[in-house]
Amino acid sequence: MSLAEKLRVMVVDDTSVSRALIVDALDQMGVRGVSLAKDGKAALSALMTQPVHLVISDMNMPGLDGLGLLKGLREFKPTSRIAFILVTGSADRTLVERGRAFGLNNLVMKPFTVPALRAAIEQVVGKL
Amino acid sequence: MTSDRARFRWVPVVQGEFRASAEDDVIFSTVLGSCIAACLFDPVARVGGMNHFLLAGETQAERGGDVMYGAYLMELLVNGLMRMGAQRARLEAKLFGGGRIVAGLSDIGANNAAFAERYLSYEGIRLVGRDLGGDKARRLQFAPVGGRARVRYVSDEAARDEVPNLAAGGGDVELF
Repeated sequence: MSLAEKLRVMVVDDTSVSRALIVDALDQMGVRGVSLAKDGKAALSALMTQPVHLVISDMNMPGLDGLGLLKGLREFKPTSRIAFILVTGSADRTLVERGRAFGLNNLVMKPFTVPALRAAIEQVVGKL
Repeated sequence: MTSDRARFRWVPVVQGEFRASAEDDVIFSTVLGSCIAACLFDPVARVGGMNHFLLAGETQAERGGDVMYGAYLMELLVNGLMRMGAQRARLEAKLFGGGRIVAGLSDIGANNAAFAERYLSYEGIRLVGRDLGGDKARRLQFAPVGGRARVRYVSDEAARDEVPNLAAGGGDVELF
């Protein structure tokens, strides 16, 4: 069983088209173990009971944003080691520094390409 | 038209960008050939905005990238409006552009229009007005507060003039 087949990923984005685009990209990589959440709060409560290997999350979401979700996951032991990739349209230095402080594993710029997303995932979890 | 000029603040929206405003004297304006402008507004929060994009990929890989880009520009607009107090469930949309301006080339305009309509339908954003397709360029004006839009059809020659020239006569005027 390849890593792609074993990998459990949660995609978090408040825009359903964006969620679908990420799921489609993951599908092209052979990653099929994908769950979805509409915002940081929904993701956090789902991950408390059903952890995954990797979270791919949008930054800008109403309520709990991407960094808020990351912080929430890191504070709770069972979810503290979930790998986390943030997808964002703008990454200024403050965002990168805050992300790093919370243990962000990687960052992907929007609009992303499938190879760019794949490279970002492989940097974190290894070759798919 | 002179009095309109004095009363309103005209803000051009160029390809690849979006603008949002809650100011009731702002009018967004743009010129569209094959491009699409999505105008979104929340009639309760009284905020609105416009984006302007062109998806022109010819290969399958390019078209995949186009979808990412188009979705990104739509998302920027929606997020921009939500930051100004709009609620996603209240958003209404009007779509303009997607013309077939150059005969003989593949119908990029129709692809752009189809993308925009699919996006709105997928996101559950109500499409309340549209003026898409055809073979003429459009000069579009959109009032973000209230969501009124006006389209004037222009010749190819006039469409090259990207600076809104409101004094220019001619062309049909329609309200959406």
